[in-house]
Amino acid sequence: MKKRQTFRVGKLLCYLTLIIGGIVSILPMTYMLGTSLRPNGALYEYPPRFFPDLDTITIENYIYVLTKEKFYINFLNSIIVSVSTIILAAIISTSLAFCIARFRFPGRNLLFGLVIGTMIIPGTTLIITQFELASFLGVINKLTGLIPFYVAWVIPFSTFMIKGFIENIPREFDQAAYIDGGSVFTVFFNIAIPLASPAIASVSIFNFLTAWEEFQWALTVLNDNAKRTFPIAISGFLGQHQFTQWGYVFAMSVISLIPVILIFILFQKYFITGLTTGGLKG
Amino acid sequence: MKNQILKKILILIILSSLSILLYACNSEETLTGREDNKESPQITLDFWHHYSAQSPENEILTNVLIPKFEEENKGYKINAVSHEWADLHDKFIISTNSGMLPDVGRLDIAWLPEFEKMDILVPLDKEISEFESVSSELLENALNTAKIGDHYYALPLNTNTKILFVNKTAFNDNDIQIPSTMQEMLEVAKELSGKNPDGKQIWGLCEPALSGWNVLPYIWSFGGDITDETYTKASGYVNSPETVEAINMLKELYKADALTGFNSGDIPMTDGFGTGRYMMIIDGPWKIAELKGSYPDFQYETADVPSGKGGSVSVLGGENIGMLKGGNQEGAWAFMKFMTGSFAQEEMAKAGQIPVNKAALQSNTVKNAPFAPFLDAITKAKIRPPIATWSEVDNELSIAITKILTEDADTQKTLDELAIKLDALLADK
Amino acid sequence: METKAMKNRIQIFLLLLPGILMFSVFTIYPIVKLFVMSFFSWDLSSMHRQEFIGFQNYAAVLSDEVFLISLVNTLLYTMITVPAQMALGLLVAVLIHSLPRYQISFRVIHYLPVITPWVIASLVFKYIFNTEGMLNYFLYELLHLTNRNIAWLDSRWSGMFVIETLGIWKGVGWNMVIFLAALQGVPEELYEVADLDGCGGIRKFFYVTLPSIKNTILFAMVMLTIGGFNVFTSIKLITDGKPLHQTQTVLTWMYYKAFRNGEFGYTAALSFIVVVALIFLATLQFRIMKNRNEED
Repeated sequence: MKKRQTFRVGKLLCYLTLIIGGIVSILPMTYMLGTSLRPNGALYEYPPRFFPDLDTITIENYIYVLTKEKFYINFLNSIIVSVSTIILAAIISTSLAFCIARFRFPGRNLLFGLVIGTMIIPGTTLIITQFELASFLGVINKLTGLIPFYVAWVIPFSTFMIKGFIENIPREFDQAAYIDGGSVFTVFFNIAIPLASPAIASVSIFNFLTAWEEFQWALTVLNDNAKRTFPIAISGFLGQHQFTQWGYVFAMSVISLIPVILIFILFQKYFITGLTTGGLKG
Repeated sequence: MKNQILKKILILIILSSLSILLYACNSEETLTGREDNKESPQITLDFWHHYSAQSPENEILTNVLIPKFEEENKGYKINAVSHEWADLHDKFIISTNSGMLPDVGRLDIAWLPEFEKMDILVPLDKEISEFESVSSELLENALNTAKIGDHYYALPLNTNTKILFVNKTAFNDNDIQIPSTMQEMLEVAKELSGKNPDGKQIWGLCEPALSGWNVLPYIWSFGGDITDETYTKASGYVNSPETVEAINMLKELYKADALTGFNSGDIPMTDGFGTGRYMMIIDGPWKIAELKGSYPDFQYETADVPSGKGGSVSVLGGENIGMLKGGNQEGAWAFMKFMTGSFAQEEMAKAGQIPVNKAALQSNTVKNAPFAPFLDAITKAKIRPPIATWSEVDNELSIAITKILTEDADTQKTLDELAIKLDALLADK
Repeated sequence: METKAMKNRIQIFLLLLPGILMFSVFTIYPIVKLFVMSFFSWDLSSMHRQEFIGFQNYAAVLSDEVFLISLVNTLLYTMITVPAQMALGLLVAVLIHSLPRYQISFRVIHYLPVITPWVIASLVFKYIFNTEGMLNYFLYELLHLTNRNIAWLDSRWSGMFVIETLGIWKGVGWNMVIFLAALQGVPEELYEVADLDGCGGIRKFFYVTLPSIKNTILFAMVMLTIGGFNVFTSIKLITDGKPLHQTQTVLTWMYYKAFRNGEFGYTAALSFIVVVALIFLATLQFRIMKNRNEED
């Protein structure tokens, strides 16, 4: 009897903790949503509240932001950049991971070490030299000035995760393909990619996030308003002389979170599976 | 499961292709009007500025000025890009390294010495023959902000300064006059501070930071300074009795809980002023637009900076328009001439930008503009030292004053130590 | 004569090629260039001609008081946020893992902070911890737990506290996901054996779960440490280094020196000093975990 009771209490505590955690996690978002539904300028009202009174709710901020500023272009730019990044990154890191996981070749350890080791260098420190490179390549002020750099940034982590996952695919599958007369490409396309797809999917989610919210580099490289990505458009509302129109900023931010949340919910299943045994097995 | 993943990938690919299509269509839209008239080769001039994206200034620039310029100067197209103020500065610095600079830029006057040191600005008096005639139409005071050493590296574009704003309702309720001297300001600030009927803290004065832009009006009005006229020496100036007196006033205000605004957790300036938490602020013409936008019913009044031994001296700010090396000089000059001409200057005045063009200053638009109270102060305002090491000097100054106020450091001693540091920096310039 | 082996070798090469190219050009080259430049005098006035000055930049960095402050702040930030978010993340993961229902909802909710952009999260936290903000409103006005509004953001340690709280809040979800994956990989048999031995829930956790996910813990620790050193946006937006540069971290200080003062040589040296510090920390963490591994 006692065991049953403690069991129930345990379960209750469990749910309670998670609910509290959930509230804490959501709170800032609620505030952001609430402010976006409030008329501009009413930020420092007293007493402060997370969510405005029902009668002061307005969607004027959203309307303004969606119609006045043509900033669906920025939205699109962000989507283009993010999607291109994850596709390229998936291709490149899977190829790299596959080769490193399955084959011995001269320089293999060096390559892997370098790939992982460069994760240590903070991206911001490289802005200056990368900018020189970008202008040398003539990609300043173009979306193609963002994509390769983003891809390069996410390769280490993606390669690491996918490699770990591939290592858990039994080699017998590969052997079977070779015996049947297959080449490396056969194994790669027919075995590695399909079987590693959970890992590929989950790193792609991470990569999408990285590209989507990246701000510093995009700001540095892009000059034209029409080329700008979303985070920069948002910062455009952070006005000069300390004055900011928070309603617009938060309305834009809420809009920008929608694709991210959607993707996460859609690909949730694969997210966790892809990380399972993905280089993390104890 | 494999099918599901493939399905999702397919959806992604379709979505992205759609987006790319949409984007391509949109680009066409924004590009028509640029590529259509191929009669004469179009030269595009890149113009970087920091008119905030949603501001009336930017509206006027995009909808009135640029079309007019392009009409009068067929053959040129202006590609104007707005950046946030600090970001624009950083962009110039990083773009220099690889020669990706625009043709023309709107530059905060404080950046000029730095950019000149980087050797990216064209010395106009040397290279442009029309410089004499064009610059003579502009305010001398403002023109000097573009002078470094013996040469002029830009044209002034707009000018501004800071004056006193006070909470009209509070002053009337308490039967207080707007202070005209520093002594009066000290007393008024202290008197008005305390708790309001709701139990919230009120501060008499708000300064959003303690750097040169904020403290120099006090220092100068008290008769002090931070360097000598040649900007080579700080000892005897930044630690002079007058400067010490000025800083001490700020210290007294801070200790009496009558001054705040520069801490990270403080209510932002406009919000605090507009909601009646800060009674007085010293700020520029942009405040008028901000208050109108966010606190339209708020009543306030303006006056010159209270005077001290040195008179009523405010700090001159503003923006210049400069030509960057390596760009299209002819086009850049044409645009610069246009922007400093009386038409453009008067138009911009409607957005609250104070003109530097003498003719525009005489116009009715300006005389009736909301920034009329600033015009007088502009003639009396001083510029911050136009030296390349200014940001480091400013940093040291700000640190010293913060220490004096928040850590109760001895004013004279701290300023003496500051003088030594500044001497070294000034010698380095 | 193309043998199978030759064909395979070529294919491997082709698979590796795009990755190596991309990586060398866009990552390795800038790093090497930066390293080289750290030995030159490189600032606003020397944009076009730089002089070789050996280790002067490094000396300047190491003797800079503010750099040392920033290093301390960064180290403390890392040492506080990393264990905290790992512990909380693990807790949440274990709890969710044991639930029969609502797993997905809780997962999504707890992951929300991770996908909130730093900019937004920082702005919201700044508002909450403002001297007249949400938190003080609750503590002072409503609950009367304090006798005045606390100026959270105005001094070094409380400012860093706010930023650390933000870091932990934002990271718990990431840890939760990583640990959920790891927990799913722990074989059921181990738990059954423990049951037979009469172990209760808590003992099972310490003697079965933890050791089984050891590698994950190490992985998370290293990744989070690197992430901790990368803290930037939150500082910039919440305190911007104030007061008196007391809340600078290595990256915000680097940014300040680079773009406010144009001292690129200094910042290049700073970057590599940070790299050295991180390599040291990572190695340390590896050693400690490997030792624990051997003990088992």
